[in-house]
Amino acid sequence: MGVITSYLKDIQAAVTSTFEGMSITFSHLMRRPMTIQYPDKIPVPIQETLPHRYRGILEVDMDICTGCLACERDCPITCITIGIDMNKETKQRYFTHFDIDICKCMYCGICSESCPTGAIRHSQEFEGASYNPAGLVRHFAPQAVNLYKPKKGGETEPKLITKVDIGQAYMDEFATADGGAAEEK
Amino acid sequence: MTETASTETGFFSEEMTISVGPQHPSTHGVLRFVVKTDGEVISEAIPDVGYLHRSIEKIGEKVTYHGYVPYTDRADYLAAMFANQAFCMAAEKLAGTEVSRRGEFCRVIACELNRLASHLISVGTFGQDIGAMTPFVHALRERESINNLMEEICGARLTYNYIRIGGVGYDILPDTLTKIAEYLIHFGPIVEEFNRLLSGNKIFIERLAGVAVVSKEDALSYNLVGPNLRGSGIKWDIRRDIPYSIYPELDFEVPVGTAQVGTLGDSYDRFWVRIREMQESVKILEQCLKMLPKGPAIAKVPKKFKPPVGECYARVEAPRGDMGFYVVSDGSEYPYRVRIRTGSYTAMSIIDKLSKGIMLADLIALIGSLDVDAPEIDR
Amino acid sequence: MKDGAFAGVPHQVVYAIAMVLTAVVVLSAFVAPLAGVTSWLERRVWARMQSRVGPNRVGPQGILQWLADGIKNIMKEDIIPAAADQKLFPLAPYIVFMGFLCSFVVIPFGANLIVADLNIGILYLLAVTSLVVVGILMAGWSSNNKWSLLGGMRSAAQIVSYEIAAGLAVLTVIFLAGTMSMQGIIKAQGWGPWDWFMFHNPFTFCAFFLFFTAALAEGNRTPFDIPEAESELVAGYVTEYSGMRFLFFFFAEWGNLYVIGAVATTLFMGGWQVPPITDNPVLLGILQFLTFFLKSYFWVFVAMWIRATLPRVRVDQLMSLCWKYMVPLSFICMLGTIGFMFMPDQGRRIFGALTLGFAIATIINFFRRVGFQFSAAKPDAYWKPHI
Repeated sequence: MGVITSYLKDIQAAVTSTFEGMSITFSHLMRRPMTIQYPDKIPVPIQETLPHRYRGILEVDMDICTGCLACERDCPITCITIGIDMNKETKQRYFTHFDIDICKCMYCGICSESCPTGAIRHSQEFEGASYNPAGLVRHFAPQAVNLYKPKKGGETEPKLITKVDIGQAYMDEFATADGGAAEEK
Repeated sequence: MTETASTETGFFSEEMTISVGPQHPSTHGVLRFVVKTDGEVISEAIPDVGYLHRSIEKIGEKVTYHGYVPYTDRADYLAAMFANQAFCMAAEKLAGTEVSRRGEFCRVIACELNRLASHLISVGTFGQDIGAMTPFVHALRERESINNLMEEICGARLTYNYIRIGGVGYDILPDTLTKIAEYLIHFGPIVEEFNRLLSGNKIFIERLAGVAVVSKEDALSYNLVGPNLRGSGIKWDIRRDIPYSIYPELDFEVPVGTAQVGTLGDSYDRFWVRIREMQESVKILEQCLKMLPKGPAIAKVPKKFKPPVGECYARVEAPRGDMGFYVVSDGSEYPYRVRIRTGSYTAMSIIDKLSKGIMLADLIALIGSLDVDAPEIDR
Repeated sequence: MKDGAFAGVPHQVVYAIAMVLTAVVVLSAFVAPLAGVTSWLERRVWARMQSRVGPNRVGPQGILQWLADGIKNIMKEDIIPAAADQKLFPLAPYIVFMGFLCSFVVIPFGANLIVADLNIGILYLLAVTSLVVVGILMAGWSSNNKWSLLGGMRSAAQIVSYEIAAGLAVLTVIFLAGTMSMQGIIKAQGWGPWDWFMFHNPFTFCAFFLFFTAALAEGNRTPFDIPEAESELVAGYVTEYSGMRFLFFFFAEWGNLYVIGAVATTLFMGGWQVPPITDNPVLLGILQFLTFFLKSYFWVFVAMWIRATLPRVRVDQLMSLCWKYMVPLSFICMLGTIGFMFMPDQGRRIFGALTLGFAIATIINFFRRVGFQFSAAKPDAYWKPHI
């Protein structure tokens, strides 16, 4: 008799669990899907919906880069290569090249935390696909760019003030010792 | 192909040697098993690992301590926070750094969220291996929400570089804390729905009950850790037995296998332990959100981190078991040696023993229930 | 036909050839889009059950996705492994396709819309769907691949075993209808659920579910899709196939889904019978076609739904399910139905009403359960996605 009861119990368990599972999948059929149909069926461009701290592809504001080479030193995967030369007549130092290999980059954020002016930062960009490997190296100094000399007592040139402020805001947010925004602002 | 002749009946049955992997939809990562089978029943399954070896341990000798933390993310990318934490704990022990209290809480919040994400993948892919495709996508959907939360906290979705030496890299803002609390309210019923859909399904239970039973003695002698060990009935959890961080102050249970259906230590028990661990993680997170103190998220740590000469081993309870980092320092900025001990590597050793006499479909169930993860095995 | 191109050929031959050609063209023109749209619908239904969207780009709502897939596969390189049997390897998909295409000859779409109303209709159908086994074995063996061989043999064992269970369940209906002809079986039922064989007595109710499960197993659908189990055997017997040959197997599978639904409707749900609303033959024909099509497509949807829900059984469990559970139960249903045939009309009507009442109660219970899932899951968090 025990055999018959376990036989019938097996059938009953199979039928009820199938019934339950089918009710769950049917309920999902009636719910709205969670897919975001990027890139065309969304109301705003996706870059604007990313969180504030998103670590996208690196960008460098060459106008406020002082050439301290802290990012090149601190990068754990040596994806940043910087070359600095000096013009013999004017004694002005300038960048010969400032290359970031975005396919080597680990997107760890260590370079942006060690920059003194906030020139190198993570942007919200993530669509960096290219048809050849050479396209994955970003050249930020295609022509010679002069190094930035931070002035004592704050920046005076109007074009550079905004840039310096943006860099400073980035550093306050992400590169402070206590991890940024610990107090209620 | 070897031939074995049965002389009584004069019937030749050949044994085939089949390679399961390295490209295979169900082995978790790039793994290969050399399987000797007569068509359905396996006589031997030997794992062949190393396809995903990236020399992470060697890289540890070439980069600074701060620079190595992103590399630890890649040691097991599904449970990146735990590797971060283990390495940072080892470095802190070497240098004698004290972690800030808020930093400890942020670490636990991030780690438990990561545990949820890792277990979701584990049970989802396990269901997929058994043939149920819907619970897998539901689990991934939930994991997407967790990824969004992690993105808000630290800016990355998979390889976080969040837990730093001395605390955490970024503080968790109040908005994010609210979102985490909302998510936890939403997540509890999801696990129950998952149970109704998959764990209670008769076909699923029949596939797993009594399959690949790991006895208590075997579990200990083969050095299994994590849910694999707890599924066999042994209550061992680093968070309880070798406590670290703020886990002693938190109230949670350590689920063990209880022969839910079938034998103690079968595949279903290991699966069930993971489901229960997800529910316990939700409890831990709720407590952390309530108890989160104010203060700095990271202690003052020098930019050039040079711990004194010495060696140190730090262990954490990762989703796949006991993850340990053994760091030897020679006083310079670069570690002298980093050694990573992971749970999946030891779990591979028991597969050969358990696979004798089971069917091919059971081998897949076994690998899925052990939750082996190729990046952890090969590093 | 006295002179001209066909002079001298007996007119029966010409008509026969013309009929065959028409049948081939009509069937292909009907069956190919049907299988294709079924594949699209399957992907959309699965996707919605998994909280995602599914293909919706190619054509309105993605309905031409199958055409895009077909064109892509035709343009692929035709790879035949060098060690494979060069004659049998290309032949296998066509045999599988032929086996399933032949079954369309006896599907009754309406009172007059049937290609050939054979008086052994259902027996012919069961026989012809077994041709698929030959094709699968051929595919598995000629691929010269251990995985494919395993998959092919498993599939053959599965289909042959479940034929018995399906055949016994079908026998139940044949007893009730007294004929094996498809139109005859439909005419023995009525247009309303109380006249369908499904609710005739509790034993035919069980026989219906047994038939449906066995038919799913014959069609290699989850929970019995071990031959195609991706996670176990890569792709089973179709591992070495690529391009259009690969698609042929799946075309046959999706089309077979429709045949399963059509047979279930014919045998158990009254087929094309409609309430006597109109006498206009054209309107009546359209109404009957639509009724039949929708009823069979509902079962196609249920098959897709089951595939999205249930995991896979293991091969030995599959065999034990067939021989230990389904065959004995089918026998019991058959004997029970025979017993019911001896019962007087009044008693039988009561049992029929009870069965119908039980079915309606189950459906109501089902929707109550769905309501519970909604309320229990608190889906607010993903009714408002991130943006």
